[in-house]
Amino acid sequence: METNQYMEMFLDESREHLQSLNDGLLSLENDPEDLSVLNEIFRNAHTLKGMSATMGYTKTAELTHDMENLLDMLRKEQLKVSSEIIDVIFKCVDSLQEMVENIGNGESEDLVDVSDLVRMVNAIAKGESVQQEGPEASGGAAAAPAAASGMPEGCELNDTDMLVIKEAKNSGLIPYWVHVEIADTCLLKSARSYMVMNVLDELGDVIKSIPPAQDLEQEKFDHSFDVCLVTDADAKKVEEGVTAISEICGVKVTEINLEEAPKEAPAPVAAPKPAAQAAAPAAAPKAAAPAAKPAAKASANNAKHDKKAHVAGQSVRVDIEKLDTLMNLVGELVTNKVRLEQIGMTHRLTELTETLEQMDRVTTDLQSVVMKVRMVPVSQVFNRFPRMVRDLAKELNKDINLTIEGEDTELDRTVIDEIGDPLMHLLRNSLDHGVEHPDEREAKGKPRTGEVGLIARHEGNNVVIMVTDDGSGINADKIRNKAVEKGMISRDEADALPDADAVRLIFLPGFSTAEQITDVSGRGVGMDVVRSKIESLGGHVDVETKIDEGSVFKIKLPLTLAIIQAMLVKVQDEMYAIPLGSIDSTINITPDDIKTVQNKEVIVIRGQIIPITRLNEVLSVPRGKEATDEDDIFVVVVHVGDHKIGIVVDNLIGQQEIVIKTLGKLLSGLKMLAGATILGDGHVAMILDVSALM
Amino acid sequence: MAKEDQVVADGEVQVVAFKLRNEEYGFSILNVQEIKNLSDITRVPFAPDFIKGVVNLRGSVLPVIDLKKRLGLEDTPYTANTRIVIVQYDEVYVGMLVDAVTEVRTINADDIDTTRAITAGNDAGSKFISGIGKVDGRLIIQLNISEIMGLSGEE
Repeated sequence: METNQYMEMFLDESREHLQSLNDGLLSLENDPEDLSVLNEIFRNAHTLKGMSATMGYTKTAELTHDMENLLDMLRKEQLKVSSEIIDVIFKCVDSLQEMVENIGNGESEDLVDVSDLVRMVNAIAKGESVQQEGPEASGGAAAAPAAASGMPEGCELNDTDMLVIKEAKNSGLIPYWVHVEIADTCLLKSARSYMVMNVLDELGDVIKSIPPAQDLEQEKFDHSFDVCLVTDADAKKVEEGVTAISEICGVKVTEINLEEAPKEAPAPVAAPKPAAQAAAPAAAPKAAAPAAKPAAKASANNAKHDKKAHVAGQSVRVDIEKLDTLMNLVGELVTNKVRLEQIGMTHRLTELTETLEQMDRVTTDLQSVVMKVRMVPVSQVFNRFPRMVRDLAKELNKDINLTIEGEDTELDRTVIDEIGDPLMHLLRNSLDHGVEHPDEREAKGKPRTGEVGLIARHEGNNVVIMVTDDGSGINADKIRNKAVEKGMISRDEADALPDADAVRLIFLPGFSTAEQITDVSGRGVGMDVVRSKIESLGGHVDVETKIDEGSVFKIKLPLTLAIIQAMLVKVQDEMYAIPLGSIDSTINITPDDIKTVQNKEVIVIRGQIIPITRLNEVLSVPRGKEATDEDDIFVVVVHVGDHKIGIVVDNLIGQQEIVIKTLGKLLSGLKMLAGATILGDGHVAMILDVSALM
Repeated sequence: MAKEDQVVADGEVQVVAFKLRNEEYGFSILNVQEIKNLSDITRVPFAPDFIKGVVNLRGSVLPVIDLKKRLGLEDTPYTANTRIVIVQYDEVYVGMLVDAVTEVRTINADDIDTTRAITAGNDAGSKFISGIGKVDGRLIIQLNISEIMGLSGEE
């Protein structure tokens, strides 16, 4: 098989499944009795096994297989969920992750040594496997009555389905319940189920399937599924049609007896029933009781659907590059629109202007749709943290409870890609330095379990992500001493700093507050890296802290990086764009308003002293033909965090939507420039990086 | 595509020839994307001095290298013949400012002199030259694009 074209898909899906495995295991650890979670985990492992076997990654498949065995035993309650077992499964997941990444990097999956792990898994499995046989044999009889009723227990036909069946019956069609078994060896079950559905569709109308069609497509089922079909063909024909598909090892077609059905399995009663079944799965082992299967499955599915109803919708995987191209094209459209607007204005073409207003609406919509397409929920980054926090808490011997809020807050993909590392760093920091050891916490009168929060929410045109902890807080004096000791500031300067500013010193390069350097954090490359990363994304990071109450690290990020509002300014003959987000105000002053403090120019606005910088000097702009009016000075006051600075420019052109373009490889890393943009008249203007002017 | 060494088809090389002052230079045609009339070039503060600025190439921002400055030649004012030759190397696109584009020439591989000795040591620009082609008594100096773009790492 030509596997290359499936590689991307395989990797993507494997990662997804590994992620849900991680999530599932975490919730299983919290609630070992929850069998629906266990089923979910099992399904994930099973799909992963199938996929890797199909792709020919036997080692991955083998490890998953062993893991699956273990999970199966847990599921059948032949083993009890213990933290030891969960640890082992976590290790399996880790190794699998490593293997998948290796495969993704074009290396061999063999690089990961799993022999120890396999031995461990098998040892656990063998330790208990003696009791396996009893329940396996007893299952057959229990299943029989359910099948006799015409349809499997627990299948939920709601009123609408009933109505359809009734109508079909009246018009001479026969409703069937079709139970399909797929061979154990089948690797592409979803494809087989799809073929079955196709055949059934041709014969009549499929009213319902258990599990739902979407789950079938995603292979969220074991080896059998049920379909409710109305058709004019007889049972034999249906059976023949389905059996003709390869890898289908069993088909059972039963006519649905309507009179009985509402009594047997009305929708409201159906829910508790499968739950009872699930609680005693020992009585319904896999091979012998196929009828009970859909029931338990349905309940698992329902539980899942309730919880994740909002993620369900139809979706398409799109190559990110295509989206980027689309975004570029939309950007170009916006640029051209602005250009047309200018032509309309210069030539006073009312008709054109009116048409452009229409177009403006369309482009605005288009732009926002494309933006939305590029938006991904922060859960994509957040969902790897619970695992990390768990491991880290164990390593540090601390009790930590991580609360995640607002994980469906959306951010531009480019931002999402970059935000993971800084967040990880902040979390590690909170765990290592923030939250105290349980004993220490108890001594302080706090609960032994430390609370760490990861909260995302919208705030105007920004997204705010906060990492909070209820730990010891940051001692401002300690920071001051450290900064002086490292020669970053003088003693006097340090003493003059208010506490809030002193704490911010941790964001300076080469600062580490940990008295002990640990593996977890504190090598002095922490916070400044976080800050520079966030700022390179056009964001801002700040910290608030209270001794013994905890700290809050607050990251503010722009929703998107691609199109922004900007103020266009002119310096001599050159045009520059200043992002509107960082502009405080623009003012008009005379040379007399400029004072000097220690030879540095400042202005006073509403009692606040603001240093100013002349853009033509900073950027060494060549003197143009235009004589600048020295009596009339325009100042754009910008801010980064709490710091303000006035930028002296020659003229203010106006506010405009601009599309940010990179300067390319050749011009990367130029200071003070955040990129370039193309103006309506086709000229290129540089975008100033305000934070670099500070 | 990573190699900009002139592709030799039946012992021949096609180059886009252009003028800098009164000398004739050439890029392998395989690296030349298009030739563009001079448009307004926006200066980029803090950029290396051989980068004249950036221009708008159908919606993307294209850096433009002042080739004369790069090769250590004296500057001349723009004329009606001034062009921007857009070249591509390793997925990076750059405009090269030239005085005039003359023609596309086919040069016999045997007529290209790659002896370094001609230029070695006498000119700061020598590392930018990959060979000298002789056609009808004219000399067309072949340029090494990756060196000119400064992507080889020393800049």
